[in-house]
Amino acid sequence: MTFDRVAIVEAALDACLQAATPAPHRLAPGEPIRPGSSLTAHAAIQLFEDQLLSRALDVSARELKKSERSFYTISSAGHENDAVLGAQLRITDPAFLHYRSGGFMMARARQLPGSTPAFDTLLGIVASSDDPIAQGRHKVWGSRALWVPPQTSTIASHLPKAMGLAFSLARARRLGVHNDLPADSVVICSFGDASANHATALAAINTARYAVRTGLPMPILFVCEDNGTGISVPTPAGWIAETYGNQPGLRYLLADGALDDIWRIAAEAIAYTRGTRRPTFVHLPTIRLWGHAGSDAEHGYRSLAEIAATEASDPLVANARLLIETGAALPAQLRQLLRDTRDRIAAVAGEAIRRPRLETTQEVIAPMAPQHPRRVAARARSPLIRAPRRRESFGGSLPEEATHPNRRTLAGQINAALADELLRRPELIVFGEDVGRKGGVYNVTNGLQKRFGPGRVFDTLLDETSILGIAQGAAHIGLLPMPEIQYLAYVHNALDQIRGEAATLQFFSSDQFRNPMVLRLPGLAYQKGFGGHFHNDNSVGALRDIPGLVLAVPSRGEDAARMLRGVVGMAIEDGRIVVFLEPIALYHEKDLYTDGDGGWLTDYPPPPAVLLPGDVGVHDLDHRDLLIVSYANGLRLSLQAAKRLREHHGVRARVVDLRWLSPLPIEAVRKHAGDCGAVLVVDECRRTGGGVADAIVADLAEGGFETGGRRLRSVRAVDSFVPLGTATSAVLVGSDQIVAEGLAAVGERVRA
Amino acid sequence: MSRAVIVFPGRGAYTAAALGSLDAGHRFVREAEQLREQYGLPSLVELDRADRFDPQVHLQPAHSAPLTFLTSLLDAEKAGMDHDPVAVVGNSLGWYTALAATAALRFSDGFRLVQEVANLQQQRESREDHGGQVIYPLTDAAWRRNPALENAVTTALGAGDGEVFRSVDLGGYTVLAGSEAGVGRLLATLPPVTVGERRFPLRLALQGPDHGPLAEEVATAAASILVDLRWQAPDVTLIDGRGVRFTPWSTDPAQLAAYTLDEQLTTAYDFATSLRVALREYAPDVLILPGPGNSLGAICGQIIVAEGYHGVRSRSDFEAVQRSASPLVLSMRR
Repeated sequence: MTFDRVAIVEAALDACLQAATPAPHRLAPGEPIRPGSSLTAHAAIQLFEDQLLSRALDVSARELKKSERSFYTISSAGHENDAVLGAQLRITDPAFLHYRSGGFMMARARQLPGSTPAFDTLLGIVASSDDPIAQGRHKVWGSRALWVPPQTSTIASHLPKAMGLAFSLARARRLGVHNDLPADSVVICSFGDASANHATALAAINTARYAVRTGLPMPILFVCEDNGTGISVPTPAGWIAETYGNQPGLRYLLADGALDDIWRIAAEAIAYTRGTRRPTFVHLPTIRLWGHAGSDAEHGYRSLAEIAATEASDPLVANARLLIETGAALPAQLRQLLRDTRDRIAAVAGEAIRRPRLETTQEVIAPMAPQHPRRVAARARSPLIRAPRRRESFGGSLPEEATHPNRRTLAGQINAALADELLRRPELIVFGEDVGRKGGVYNVTNGLQKRFGPGRVFDTLLDETSILGIAQGAAHIGLLPMPEIQYLAYVHNALDQIRGEAATLQFFSSDQFRNPMVLRLPGLAYQKGFGGHFHNDNSVGALRDIPGLVLAVPSRGEDAARMLRGVVGMAIEDGRIVVFLEPIALYHEKDLYTDGDGGWLTDYPPPPAVLLPGDVGVHDLDHRDLLIVSYANGLRLSLQAAKRLREHHGVRARVVDLRWLSPLPIEAVRKHAGDCGAVLVVDECRRTGGGVADAIVADLAEGGFETGGRRLRSVRAVDSFVPLGTATSAVLVGSDQIVAEGLAAVGERVRA
Repeated sequence: MSRAVIVFPGRGAYTAAALGSLDAGHRFVREAEQLREQYGLPSLVELDRADRFDPQVHLQPAHSAPLTFLTSLLDAEKAGMDHDPVAVVGNSLGWYTALAATAALRFSDGFRLVQEVANLQQQRESREDHGGQVIYPLTDAAWRRNPALENAVTTALGAGDGEVFRSVDLGGYTVLAGSEAGVGRLLATLPPVTVGERRFPLRLALQGPDHGPLAEEVATAAASILVDLRWQAPDVTLIDGRGVRFTPWSTDPAQLAAYTLDEQLTTAYDFATSLRVALREYAPDVLILPGPGNSLGAICGQIIVAEGYHGVRSRSDFEAVQRSASPLVLSMRR
């Protein structure tokens, strides 16, 4: 029994209640628990009920685990004083919660009549498909009705989006974008002391302070639940207070002491942030009971004496004593409450384990990638802006009438398409570093801020994590964010904001919460005169690896405009996270075959012209000797190579532009491959990056393409970072290679 | 002892089959008879022992309400001996019974609450435009939810011109209410359906437009008449018509009073939610339905099926479990 710490802690609470004697006076429900306290006896007992409920759920999770009927044992035990915040914040104050938030959730749910927080929590613990938030996909704290968007919260990666929501509240209101939050809402995010060291936490807090410094509202509570330990590693004493106690633009409050002290400080924090629209850092000391999780043998890294000392500070024991000593409750009442709660949760757990679980693939992935192509297409095409208004917005000259070459390049077309989208979608916001006043490093957002105002087109600070956090937070409340990360190489600095957070929201919330966005991402190689890896990165594997994410890569300007409309439709209608990867080297390219031929300039296709996933670009449909499949810079090189193959070798190549790298338009590729005698995949990304070439070659090979007597080959970039200057040609795919491999693919059949 | 949720019925429960339910010697009945005398109202025992059920008399709110209340309370007292009540819910008038059964109100205060509100409702009945309630099914005979019926209700409410509202949510049935004109519109707009042998929409006899804005007058009067009721925390958790829990430990009696004398009367009573909260948060082994009658038997069954509680997912599942050695719903009367 020495190591059954759950039983020991439970017994200590029993013993405390058994030994307690009633106070000489009883408090009436509305009386303050102590003279001058704002916490009433009634509210204090409600808090204690919620805390006991949370504790009983933790005990139950561990009991169920013994018979392998629960799948989650990370508990809230020792953190239950966060119920104070759950009780005082409104259910219209969005809450991004730490995983030890049982007390908070029980108290918050109390504000919603008809809620069933104990049962709901147990459904999550047993991974039942009846769990109202995640349907068994994860054990998360979340609820649509309680405005608790679910996330894993293990690495503080939820802080940037919490900050982003706080950042966006006033902006959404100013732009007339409706949501269900009152004007004076505040955002809360909570996290552990060890998590406060994560780069994501530092980024979010830094950006919150930066907003204050620049005069923007930032109504957010950063609540650090400090239990002094990160799994087995102790946090240095005083670290949190030292780090956050004295930061300009961030009010720090230590919520320490007895339950009513914590209540008072929490009230002060909420009132300050609600009233001033400025951030507060609430430092809430807690303890962690029973190790990190059920599987964590705490005695392996802490002495028994240390463990026992922590247990002696059980907040539930302290709160029970407070209730009894102040006369808010009688010992017998609390004994009865404790018995009732334990029996109740045991019974509720018995019902929860009867509930069904997800069984099929379809059930698991249903919310992750809802696909409504018809609705998406309709949405992408509408609304249409009346011609006079559109003409006025474009300063009298519509982009489809442009004759100036710069307006018909890829950059020019994206700029015009962005303007059209901003014009017809008032919820759309465009932001990132340098996109506002400067109009983007490559002029892609040129003039948009002037036309649509800094409320909709704005510069952010230079932090990719925060840019993506703002995008997520904005999207939670109905804005349609189109953030820009300046270079593909920089997205890796913040990739988890897409992978671990944005892309999982529909999955963890069963599509009850969405954070659609179109991330504009200039990238890929071949820039002339501006080289080096960080501006020429050609790594897309990490993006293609994210379930549900759409990766769109236009090559020609007219495609970019139509694809942009398509992805906006997907974001709005299906909640998609889209990465719109723009080949920098083609932004201002005008020519295709020879200098001055203007072959890369295109006419602007005005709305409602649209391209959607599956729509590939086909060049020379009547050619059948060889199919070249490519995208982005590779497309232009492939077209050049196709010309040489035809003129010098008599090989008639059809060229297909994939346009969509995830999901791949594999049906179209199969169809065109079936028409042609050989296939060459031209992939400008890294040879072994698990990329496009691998996927297409594997699919065609598995489909029997090569065994049908036809050749299947690929050219790819070398496994290297992209070097500076002329050395790039040593690692990147070139036109000569494509010609050579094309000839190898067709073999003697055609060349003869 | 089994974990039991006690479910108290509403006023319509006292029907012909209920005659002869009262034990005249029970202290509650004796106390009730004294109070009836003070009100100048006929003896409940005599009404209960009538040779035949006279709807014009027995269904009058001033009689049917206390008859239902008393019968329920006496049954619940018996049930409490064999089971461990873990939560208590009630439908409409059943909320008052629940208050008395859990000692949130002592017996005489509970009785006064029932009688005074019933008197006010009866006064309203005497007016020409008293309004009423209409019940309509939302499931088919197999207790499967029928979205067409739900749509019909939404349409009818939309066409009610502000004179109709949702009154009670019973899960498988909805009770709508309104002024006379509103009730007329409901009866004319809702498509006729037959479930079993009953035809709907069905106007409920001698039921006024309760649980909505037309009950505000009753609520205001009741609050002033009943200002001296002595409220306490219940001894078993109560779950009200919003799904809010009042526990023995944290109840503020003032909030219980405020809800009972205002919101309970003037906003829709969501019985289905109250029972759903009881099932999910208290996980009873059994629901106990005190008399009179068994008006909530099928209603509870439908809510259990909708929940999939204990794996019961269809009417036939429910009937099978009811025939088994451990039924989920124990109706004390038929």
